[in-house]
Amino acid sequence: MLVMAECKASAACWPTRPDLSTDLRLGLSLSTSLSSSSSLQAAESIPSMPRNQVLLSWPPIKPFLRSALAASASRRRRQQTLFVKVYMEGLPIGRKLDLLLLDGYDSLLVKLCNMFKTPITYADVYQQQVPGVKAAHFLTYEDQDGDWMMVGDVPWNLFLTSVKKIRITRTDKC
Amino acid sequence: MGRGVGSRSGGGAAQPPWHSLPDEVWEHAFSFLPAAADRGAAAGACRGWLRAERRSRRRLAVANCYATSPRDAVERFPSVRAAEVKGKPHFADFGLVPPAWGAEAAPWVAAAADGWPLLEELSFKRMVVTDECLEMIAASFRNFQVLRLVSCEGFSTAGLAAITEGCRNLRELDLQENYIEDCSSHWLSSFPESFTSLETLNFSCLDGEVNFAVLERLVTRCHNLKTLKLNNAIPLDKVASLLRKAPHIVELGTGKFSADYHPDLFAKLEAAFAGCKSLRRLSGAWDAVPDYLSAFYGVCEGLTSLNLSYATVRGPELIKFISRCKNLQQLWVMDLIEDHGLAVVASTCSKLQELRVFPSDPFGAGQVLLTERGLVDVSASCPMLESVLYFCRRMTNEALITIAKNRPNFTCFRLCILEPRTPDYITQQSLDAGFSAIVESCKGLRRLSVSGLLTDLVFKSIGEHADRLEMLSIAFAGNSDLGLHYILSGCKSLKKLEIRDCPFGNKPLLANAAKLETMRSLWMSSCSLTLGACRQLAQKMPRLTVEIMNDPGRACPLDALPDESPVEKLYVYRTIAGPRSDTPDYVQIV
Repeated sequence: MLVMAECKASAACWPTRPDLSTDLRLGLSLSTSLSSSSSLQAAESIPSMPRNQVLLSWPPIKPFLRSALAASASRRRRQQTLFVKVYMEGLPIGRKLDLLLLDGYDSLLVKLCNMFKTPITYADVYQQQVPGVKAAHFLTYEDQDGDWMMVGDVPWNLFLTSVKKIRITRTDKC
Repeated sequence: MGRGVGSRSGGGAAQPPWHSLPDEVWEHAFSFLPAAADRGAAAGACRGWLRAERRSRRRLAVANCYATSPRDAVERFPSVRAAEVKGKPHFADFGLVPPAWGAEAAPWVAAAADGWPLLEELSFKRMVVTDECLEMIAASFRNFQVLRLVSCEGFSTAGLAAITEGCRNLRELDLQENYIEDCSSHWLSSFPESFTSLETLNFSCLDGEVNFAVLERLVTRCHNLKTLKLNNAIPLDKVASLLRKAPHIVELGTGKFSADYHPDLFAKLEAAFAGCKSLRRLSGAWDAVPDYLSAFYGVCEGLTSLNLSYATVRGPELIKFISRCKNLQQLWVMDLIEDHGLAVVASTCSKLQELRVFPSDPFGAGQVLLTERGLVDVSASCPMLESVLYFCRRMTNEALITIAKNRPNFTCFRLCILEPRTPDYITQQSLDAGFSAIVESCKGLRRLSVSGLLTDLVFKSIGEHADRLEMLSIAFAGNSDLGLHYILSGCKSLKKLEIRDCPFGNKPLLANAAKLETMRSLWMSSCSLTLGACRQLAQKMPRLTVEIMNDPGRACPLDALPDESPVEKLYVYRTIAGPRSDTPDYVQIV
């Protein structure tokens, strides 16, 4: 009869490691949907993996490397900057601002109001949140096509990818 | 099994004189056959040789811990001094096998403790090793010398302390990529002060702190220390101190190598490395600090192996460093080296045998400039290159055909194009032609991983031409059952086949059932298999274990399910031990 060593300590000493069962379920649900698709027989017609459905068991790299990469990726993100020029209409000298230090439109507004000492607003909808305080300025930006747009219409992350310059424009000009 | 030597009928023909030789002579003869395959062949010649061979076998490698029972293995080979046992299937490395699947080392340690008291070396890969196992090892083998644990889990530093305390003759403690719980016990301090036999110490995967003074004393008194691989807890200046105490080191892993630049630290490191005339293998988690790389320049010329797969160094400093390593045989690096870096490798490292390039940003947008060009350059200029693992984002058939022509001596070719089903980026065709060229040209190919857009035709080529292929990995490829059929009906030497996310179904599996018994194992996940076929397979082939893995969330008894139920994961392997009894809820043996 085989002597099974009692693994009493092993249950308690389970090492901290990425929870692969969750990864697995995500991976499982994605691939089950692929394999149950009737179009599976003609591989040519299968669309390539949608970008937002990251299969956590792919690409085939070992967990130690995977977690090392994740750690260095988050370190890299902290080191990145996105400085844009900010001009206030009427002032010839502009300022520079690192947008990656902010986490959204609200903090952008607060930061700029502090920088330029004037109430600023952006898309119309936000004026309703502060009734009675009609800002003299509102926020516009130049995008990668060179067009001047109202700040606040697109999600913050999308804004970060397209903003080139920011301009604080007077309301009465609009 | 050959028939007994003496059973030859023959009128009057005298038996050859060697038939009366005692077993000891055969045992001595077999000691000149180091390769297990050769010994196995000799053992198959006749009963006499079988007896002599198995009684004198010193090294045993069990590639699948469930292929035999530990007791049987120990009984059959009673003189084993060094054993290696592997557990979970390879795809467990990528998270495809849920936790608690099995592969416990305990039964092996227990059987070894009973039957191999003179055991000196034990190596486990992808197995669950507990602290109790380690305690038993320390207590059972008076001449235990080498412990190697690769990709294992289930133990803590308390178990390590049992080893360091109890194994008086320990020469090697090699811990590679294990998950070790840090119970803060002073395993390093448990080496007695009189202990000096250590030659290899690798604790790079350990997360916690170690007592540096103890480490330094250990390194100082172990004059035969050749391999030292440190963990992230050891800062750079301490590495320099250790090197001064162990200048005869052959292999060094620096652990974390990131620090703000200080000229005196740089000078210290440079001096320490200058003293290491024997240093040949270097690795470490170099964290994007190019400033210190030049401290290593003194050892570059002597390096034969460089593992920078955890190094996020990029750019000109990395290339300057590598361009000094003229004698490199093995290079593991991040794709941050880019094509122009590999061009430098190609022109510098004429002795290169193995290249591995890992993805630094596997889920990102793909800013790194590593393409097929890098691999083409290296294959063109490194005549001894035989093993490649290459992660990239794009490939062409033309590049693969060129590579195949340049390097017919490949034994291992693993290409991973990051996005599944990526075609030739110029012609938009499948990569069938490219991979076919590889298998046609590289007649000695033993291991192959394919990727990109592939149809059944590539498997036809592989089945026909890859005569020496032992391990094949396939993902997101093929268009029908034919693909799998080509593989299973060809590939004469195939031992391990692992497949995921391919449209392969039941028919080729059943049609080639006999082939599976000539192989070590088959893994198929996210293919088009159903339970009925697995049942048939199990019935047809009693010496195969057919394991089905369900979603760990729902443990449904197999008997209740109809034949048409899809099978998400299948693992089939040959065994002489019958079905295992330690399956978790989500694994069922058909």
